[in-house]
Amino acid sequence: MASITDCVVEGLKYPFNDIKKLLGVGILCVIIDLISIVFTIKTVDVTKMIIGTLEKTNATGFNLNFSQLPNGDIYLAIAMLVVGFIVSLFIMGYQYDVVNFSINRKDDLPGFGDIVGMFIKGVKYFLVCLVYSIPSMIVAFLAILVSNNSSLWSVIMVISVLLIIICYFILIMALNNMIAHDSLKKAFDFSEIRGNISNLGWVKYIGTILFTVIVFMIINIAIGIVMSFLTVIFAATINNQAIVISIVISVIEALFVTSYCSVFFSRVCGSIYREAVK
Amino acid sequence: MILDIYKDSLEYSAKDWKTLVILGVICFFSFLLLPAFLITGYNYRVINTAVHGVINGRDPLPDFEDLISMFVDGVKFVIVQILYLLVPAIIFLIFALVAGQTNGVAASAIMIIGCIITFVAFVVAELMAQMGICHMAYNDGAFSKAFAISEIKEVIDEIGWFECIATFLGLIIITLVILFVVSAIIGIIFTAFGLSTAILGINPSSIFILGALINILITMFLVGPYLSIFNSRSIGLLYTMQI
Repeated sequence: MASITDCVVEGLKYPFNDIKKLLGVGILCVIIDLISIVFTIKTVDVTKMIIGTLEKTNATGFNLNFSQLPNGDIYLAIAMLVVGFIVSLFIMGYQYDVVNFSINRKDDLPGFGDIVGMFIKGVKYFLVCLVYSIPSMIVAFLAILVSNNSSLWSVIMVISVLLIIICYFILIMALNNMIAHDSLKKAFDFSEIRGNISNLGWVKYIGTILFTVIVFMIINIAIGIVMSFLTVIFAATINNQAIVISIVISVIEALFVTSYCSVFFSRVCGSIYREAVK
Repeated sequence: MILDIYKDSLEYSAKDWKTLVILGVICFFSFLLLPAFLITGYNYRVINTAVHGVINGRDPLPDFEDLISMFVDGVKFVIVQILYLLVPAIIFLIFALVAGQTNGVAASAIMIIGCIITFVAFVVAELMAQMGICHMAYNDGAFSKAFAISEIKEVIDEIGWFECIATFLGLIIITLVILFVVSAIIGIIFTAFGLSTAILGINPSSIFILGALINILITMFLVGPYLSIFNSRSIGLLYTMQI
């Protein structure tokens, strides 16, 4: 392939091949979006309640007991978290399939036939992501431990952020490697991962990912601007329905944009692997 | 040679007024951010046609199909520009920091020297950026070619630094002159209208407002796109001038 950006162009066109399946992903995204909205609204309520309790009992936030928290919503919140987590596992499973299709040069979008398989793939995907975020988490934890020492704290935080970035770059190739061989072990086969990346060239590899991320961000920011314009316009014309309108707009955004972007990103990741092993 | 470039580009940009209007409409919506990249992508296509074409040939204007790759090309264009312009920005920042540490005459002396160096670096970086984009287009859009400094330097050496800078200066002057002349003509016409209505005893303010509006519209929908195609075409043709 002549240039890096052909992969990106191909990835951007890819989700249009089958709009129905894209909408399927979109519905999953909408569920997560709704849960996070409800969560935000609930958080406001709970914060209000906690402040009320604090005012009544003269306590400070640190010595408030768990039993003094409003308990009715806790179970609901936990249930919603669990549902959201499971749905996001499905989305990850779908991304797994997209990468797989991309590596195998299939031009159609993966279907939703094999629910259980999708879930298992999602768990694998999630595990790899989790393991790769462990180093930065440990460093961030160290930073919290030494938080009294202000200068040391910031240095460790910077190291943690750098670790996140480095791990993320390796993570993409690791996921590709795992998906291509369909085995969890291959995600931690560092020599093969390094071989793949140096096969493509580190500069080209990092450049491709950075370019993809930039395109991803531009799309998101642009759509965000459009959507916030729409929200403001509708909220100004219809009285007293601002929350409902913003929820509707964010559902539309999740249905089309979030799903599109995630499929696009996975597709490009798969193409990178395809280029690397060629 | 330079005059040939200008003549060809001026004719080329005026080939199809529909393209200009479409570009103008895209430009009108560019506050939504995505269309802004479409415009740069279109400029990239113009450059692409120019570097693969011949001067005074019959190159067609690029069309608007395949918007997605146009968008990606636009992103590339912008990234190359930003990365090159980072160099003078960093130089300027360094000088500003140093000047901030010192005080008195030394600070202003450092600042003046810094400004001169920044200006030179800016001119060089802008030249390199434009030529880098041309070089990238010539090599089928390979991103690494936009930063192959030694190759780009060879290209500029072959064209001649003086010619390049002269062409760029000429471009700036022609752009400003066209903008000025067009708005001056429209302004004169509407001033004449307004004065005649004032003589007839009608309030002329609405005519002046209309004049300003038409001025903005024509600048946005016809002159602006025309100038952007003109600039891109000239730079693309300049690239083909290597011996």
